[in-house]
Amino acid sequence: MAACVQTESFAKCYGSVVAVSGLTMSVQEGEVFGLLGPNGAGKSTTLYALCGLIPPTSGTISLFGKDLRRNFLDVSARIGVMVERPSFYNHLSAKRNLQLLARLSRKEVTVDRALDRVGLLHLGGRKVGAMSHGMRQRLGLAQALLTEPDLLILDEPTGGMDVESTQEILKLLRFLADEAKVTIIFSSHMLHEVETLCDRIAIMNQGRLLACEETDRLISYDTSQADVLIDAPEAAAKRLKEQPWVQSVSVLPGRVRVVLNGGSVHQLTTFLIGAGYRISGVLPKRRTLQDYFVKVLHS
Amino acid sequence: MIHRVGNAYLVECIKAMRSKSAYVGPVLVVVMAAFAPLMQPIREDSASAYAFVAFATPMALNLLGLLLILTYCAGLVSSETSNGTIRMILVRPLHRHEFLIAKLLHGMTYAALLTVLVALATWSIAALRGKLDGVEYGGEMLYTSTHMIAMYGLGALVVLLPQFAAVSYALMLSTLVRSTGAAVGAAIGIWIVLDAVKYPLHVAPFLFSTYLESPWYVFTMNSEGIDASWTPELYYCLATSLGSIVVFTAIAIYALRRRNIQS
Repeated sequence: MAACVQTESFAKCYGSVVAVSGLTMSVQEGEVFGLLGPNGAGKSTTLYALCGLIPPTSGTISLFGKDLRRNFLDVSARIGVMVERPSFYNHLSAKRNLQLLARLSRKEVTVDRALDRVGLLHLGGRKVGAMSHGMRQRLGLAQALLTEPDLLILDEPTGGMDVESTQEILKLLRFLADEAKVTIIFSSHMLHEVETLCDRIAIMNQGRLLACEETDRLISYDTSQADVLIDAPEAAAKRLKEQPWVQSVSVLPGRVRVVLNGGSVHQLTTFLIGAGYRISGVLPKRRTLQDYFVKVLHS
Repeated sequence: MIHRVGNAYLVECIKAMRSKSAYVGPVLVVVMAAFAPLMQPIREDSASAYAFVAFATPMALNLLGLLLILTYCAGLVSSETSNGTIRMILVRPLHRHEFLIAKLLHGMTYAALLTVLVALATWSIAALRGKLDGVEYGGEMLYTSTHMIAMYGLGALVVLLPQFAAVSYALMLSTLVRSTGAAVGAAIGIWIVLDAVKYPLHVAPFLFSTYLESPWYVFTMNSEGIDASWTPELYYCLATSLGSIVVFTAIAIYALRRRNIQS
């Protein structure tokens, strides 16, 4: 797959404050890429730079293989952007707002389709000033989808939405990535959203890229720890503590929690079965994105 | 580029037409023209009717009209910046200078609209309450009605230039200042201060604001039966206005191109 977004040593400074420092990353076509980080990590600055709203202090940004600054018109025609709280003309209806934005686009657009996708078609005639925060967020997404973009840049798109709307939007974004092969760059404070949606996750802090991994690898099972559902947990724990490949054992109702020291889950179960215990299940520890996030930030 | 600027200009016009505040200025200048006979009564003679037009037009345009132009245009970019809508626009396939040119054209349209409305209002009132058969002196026709209309029309065309310069001045401040209130305050405040100090500082000949009355000079003199010449004031008016438009627009474009459009 070709790189849809490529940054090379991208840096952005505001006077003496370094917002982003030497960011080099690439996002492949059709990928859903999540940007995570605490406040002030440089996520929003990166997203603003990717859509051309802030010029880089140094480094380059290429979208679809073209330099963003030199080919802004070509590139911007292929992207949809929703950054932070979307703003509209409050005195105009939702539909009119989109119609005005559509006039500035190069492609043929269908305003009703964009409204329908975010579930706002029935509210198209309502003035934006009379809309709730969640509705505005959805309208913000509608304007980003207006031109059927190849790349969507979304900065906290579900902020302020209720649970049901958030689920609908995440479903829509996953559909766009899977069916329409839209590349999505997504930033959010909600780790579970990023975990659900993104194929790859980058973690930023203080303007630097700390880690960039595939989501499946991050949240796969941790084979160094497992809960074993067993008939005699106390006795089994006593036997396990004697083994050199076991680091620690704790007894829980109906199970033992074993932290391995070089051993494998297979070795553990073979040992217990061999010792005559009856095992009804083995639950390896599942890593969460939160674990990884905290670990990366603290390292 | 023309297509993109045209579309952006159209968007500006649609937005304005659907905003109540955009109608305040045009209504106010017409109301001011309507009340002008209280200050310059029209008698049943032609000289009086032309004198009324010569009085009411600059009064409505230079006193109120200019204030309205400054207020309206100072909000054109700053309002988009302060409420964040500029972010929605500048991620579209539109260069920043094209966005500004569309704003400039919109501001110029607003200024032209005010001028046309004042012209229509003052001539209508003069026609209803007086005679517009030309300027006579001692039974002799000095200036025909056609001549007077032509002089007025030429004046109205020329006066658009300093008004457009005022538009570009306000637009520049609107680009430099992010808050609408501050941009409007700066536009009017700097204007007043400059007007007060331009003569003591001997910079008046170089400022377009000095020549706001110049386009009406020939018409005003003719309405009193006096011959008058366009030169050299007209040239100063054209030069300072065009120069100001270029400089202010260039500064606005430079500032916007370097601006970080971030909340």
